[in-house]
Amino acid sequence: MHAFDYAAASTVRGALDLAGPGSAFLAGGTTLVDLMKLDVLTPDRVIDVNALPLKGIRLHDGALRIGALERMSDVAAHPVVRSVHPVISKALLLSASGQVRNMASIGGNLMQRTRCDYFRDVTSACNKRRPGSGCPALTGVNRNHAVLGTSDSCVATHASDVAVAFVALDAQVVLRSKDGDRVAPLEEFYRLPGSTPDRENVLGPGELIAEVVVPVLPWARHSTYLKIRDRQSYEFALTSVAAAVDVKRGVVQDVRLAAGGVAAKPWRLRAVEEALKGGVAIERTFAEAAESAVDGARPLAHNAFKTALLKRTIVRALLDAAGAR
Amino acid sequence: MIGRPVDRVDGRIKVTGAAPYAADTKIPGVTCGYLVTSTIGRGRLTGMDTAAALASPGVLAVYTPFNPLKLFAYVQEQNDERFPPLQDTEIRFFGQAIGFVVAETWEQARDAAGLVTATYDQQPPVTEFPGRTLQAFEEVEEVVGTQTVGDITFTASYTTPFQHHCAMEPHATVATWNGDHLTVYTVSQGALLVQRRLSETLGVDAAKIHVLSPHVGGGFGGKWGNWAQVPLACAASRALGRPVKAVLTREQVFAMAGHRPRTKQTLAMTCTEDGKLTSIVNDGVTSRGLGGNWSESVANWTLTTYASPNLRVTKTVVPLNLGAATVMRAPGEANGSFALESAMDELAAQLGVDPVELRLRNYATLVPNTGKPWSGKHLDECYRLGAEEFGWSKRPKQVRATADGDWLVGTGMATATYGASRGQASIKVRLHPDGTASVSGTAADLGTGQYTVFAILAADELGIPVTRVRPDLGDSTSPAAANAGGSNSTCTNGPAVQVAAKAVQTELITLATTNPRSPFYGKEVSYRDGSVSSGGLTMSFGTLLTTCDVGGVEAVGTSPRLVDPEHGFRSFGAHFCEVRVHRLTGEPRVTRWLSVCDAGTIVNAKAARSQIQGAVVMGIGQALLEATEVDVSARFTNANLASYLVPVHADIPRIDVRFLDHSDPVISGLGAKGIGELGIVGVAGAIANAVHHATGVRVRDLPITLDKLL
Repeated sequence: MHAFDYAAASTVRGALDLAGPGSAFLAGGTTLVDLMKLDVLTPDRVIDVNALPLKGIRLHDGALRIGALERMSDVAAHPVVRSVHPVISKALLLSASGQVRNMASIGGNLMQRTRCDYFRDVTSACNKRRPGSGCPALTGVNRNHAVLGTSDSCVATHASDVAVAFVALDAQVVLRSKDGDRVAPLEEFYRLPGSTPDRENVLGPGELIAEVVVPVLPWARHSTYLKIRDRQSYEFALTSVAAAVDVKRGVVQDVRLAAGGVAAKPWRLRAVEEALKGGVAIERTFAEAAESAVDGARPLAHNAFKTALLKRTIVRALLDAAGAR
Repeated sequence: MIGRPVDRVDGRIKVTGAAPYAADTKIPGVTCGYLVTSTIGRGRLTGMDTAAALASPGVLAVYTPFNPLKLFAYVQEQNDERFPPLQDTEIRFFGQAIGFVVAETWEQARDAAGLVTATYDQQPPVTEFPGRTLQAFEEVEEVVGTQTVGDITFTASYTTPFQHHCAMEPHATVATWNGDHLTVYTVSQGALLVQRRLSETLGVDAAKIHVLSPHVGGGFGGKWGNWAQVPLACAASRALGRPVKAVLTREQVFAMAGHRPRTKQTLAMTCTEDGKLTSIVNDGVTSRGLGGNWSESVANWTLTTYASPNLRVTKTVVPLNLGAATVMRAPGEANGSFALESAMDELAAQLGVDPVELRLRNYATLVPNTGKPWSGKHLDECYRLGAEEFGWSKRPKQVRATADGDWLVGTGMATATYGASRGQASIKVRLHPDGTASVSGTAADLGTGQYTVFAILAADELGIPVTRVRPDLGDSTSPAAANAGGSNSTCTNGPAVQVAAKAVQTELITLATTNPRSPFYGKEVSYRDGSVSSGGLTMSFGTLLTTCDVGGVEAVGTSPRLVDPEHGFRSFGAHFCEVRVHRLTGEPRVTRWLSVCDAGTIVNAKAARSQIQGAVVMGIGQALLEATEVDVSARFTNANLASYLVPVHADIPRIDVRFLDHSDPVISGLGAKGIGELGIVGVAGAIANAVHHATGVRVRDLPITLDKLL
């Protein structure tokens, strides 16, 4: 483990003042500390941001606003979250373990790094960890890897569950720097790997996630988060789908869909949404619409099953969300 | 008292953290050692730069093959590494120990280890299985009969992946010298295994090596051998004149501390029209890690399970550039049973015969490959009781016949059997003036309940409460008892505890009648329920010892190894399970379980049940989750507990366990056979059979993951 300085900040300004090249913000530490122990991350300075006033869960101006330092377990249990956007709560409760959820912050969750075993093993090459060193996952063990949004440089998945729910709900993140705040749709906050998989998001140096803003969508109470995995708990998704669907008189009026476990970032399924709108809310419609979910998919040697599994996960999630069976 | 449910005598200190595990050992002035490991899978070390590490804060020494600690060649086979660490420059596997950094603190040692660099002359490692190999050899293991004849033929191949033990406690060793006496606190399945290995590799008289391993946080075979940290901590401590502690990281445990080998079995069976087997041929292939010698005789389970006039098994060994493959719970048999139990289910379907009925038709009343009678076998009762309790008769004959909502429901069953034997063991029982009895032997408790077995059997024999017995395990200075392996502990050590507890009563009576301070001096006395009596006078042994001002009486009892060429010895059982598979997304989930076991006398009903439940949990992992992956670099790519999936609570249903509790009088007066491994045998087969019944899909390659069921 690389030696580092530790500093705690009590204001956002103070935290940003302490930040610089080679620094890292520490919230719950459930990603950062793990990766520091593995020498994957070697910050010179760790800035503890836990005392920053980035808390609170509230409804304001037609949106659910979640402070970046709210813990996963608190968000999952919050009555407003559970009533306005149950899919957020469901996604959180299917993440990690109770112990991890008690520590991990929402902002940190969005910033968590991939679970690719090559990324986490410093004796291995990895373009994300050491740009230009190569990607052994392309030809190595890649059952858990992505089939969508990948590149010849990187095939890692994004690991967050709740980010999938957020992307389905058109959530935005408030990014705070010394220059003030800017707002980015979460879907665009994440970058695709392309030839620079080390750059995972649009966060600038000296910039913090302050808040997540999720527009209220009344019919999204009919929503679900379905996570498919080998182990029934404490395991990342092979595929997951956040689905909210508005069905009236058996016909799909509107729908939101995003997928996890299959792509380089939380993956909004717009083509499937379009195909569903106006369709009869039955399994066959769902299955036909799901076909377009895997357009452009690039399966690898061990993860080709994910294209079929994703389509079936979509169907199952839609059946759950629509209550149609 | 024998056979009743008794709480673990070591339970409280374990859950409160008071039980001393090896890595907890606190010795003033202890230093910490950290292993440097190879980052290639095959080749030769050409150089190492240790200058930066040596200059790093707190570093006391950096040992490498270019600056080694002298270790003599390993002689004894312990299913672990072939060569002592750091004695040569050949790289046989990825993650092999190539350096040992000792520093004042663990963090300093780890940081310095990260500064050591190595150069290699690299060769492409061999990782393909079965595939192209460095050398593969076939040996015919055993042939019974000569013909393969029959009307019905069935052939299929089954494979199992690399697996790891994943004991909760990583491997740890603390060594300290006092002159030429070595004391070692270490993880081990038998203190004498450590003492012998250290004696040979350090060149030290075994009598001067004191090994302490009182508590072990899970072994499953992975702590039978002595891995690199054991000799290195001891040799470094000798060289530096300071105590040294070495704890492997989880990644290092995966790379260098043993794994279950990959296997492939190709079964060919013939039978008559009414389902009587006429021949079974099983060609087994097993990997061997070039770090070690051991490989699985994976096909051999076929030799002792079902009656067949013709039997032939072979073994082909495929050496790979990996650390040592080693024994893991039911070595050979956990994997071996997956193939034969799947094949029996497939054959039953082909014949249109119920799977339980097919097994009864091929019931082996004699040992199939030797023709000897069994010491005791009630497997038929396991099948019948299990079928009745499980509701097997209601099972639809057709596959994919039952659904519960979107979940396809199926049931399956399989046979469990595991070898039994009784070795030699010596145990010392000592009676103390405070009214307690201590029972000591070099045996190990890996979480198995062996402490409590000692307490129950001594308490039973002495006629005192279990709470007044203090078992003392894992100390090499105690009489030589059975190591924890091969499901051997209770059937070997149990009779020795009984012998010793009887013998100490004789010593007590001698004291009572010959010590002038004794109220029984010169009288005729008897011993019963912890007390000596004569006429109207009864005195507890504690009071007697106090009255006589004697610090204790003791006796060592030895139970000899059982040599019985007349019988075959095995434990038996039958598993029944229900599995659900989602019709869309294919996840297989085990939802109901029943195991019926015929394992001789059960000493502690509670811990025995836990043993079988634990083995079933491990078998569910083997069936559905566990596989260590290897890529072209020869590294285990998922060498951590986040990526290597062991079951969690959510994966496990209620596990119902029944014991027939028929004593086996041939194996010992106690009549206990082994239960440590029996429970995992057949689990994967039962699940594969239930998955097939639910879905119609036959998966012959473990683990049965959802991608194979889409």
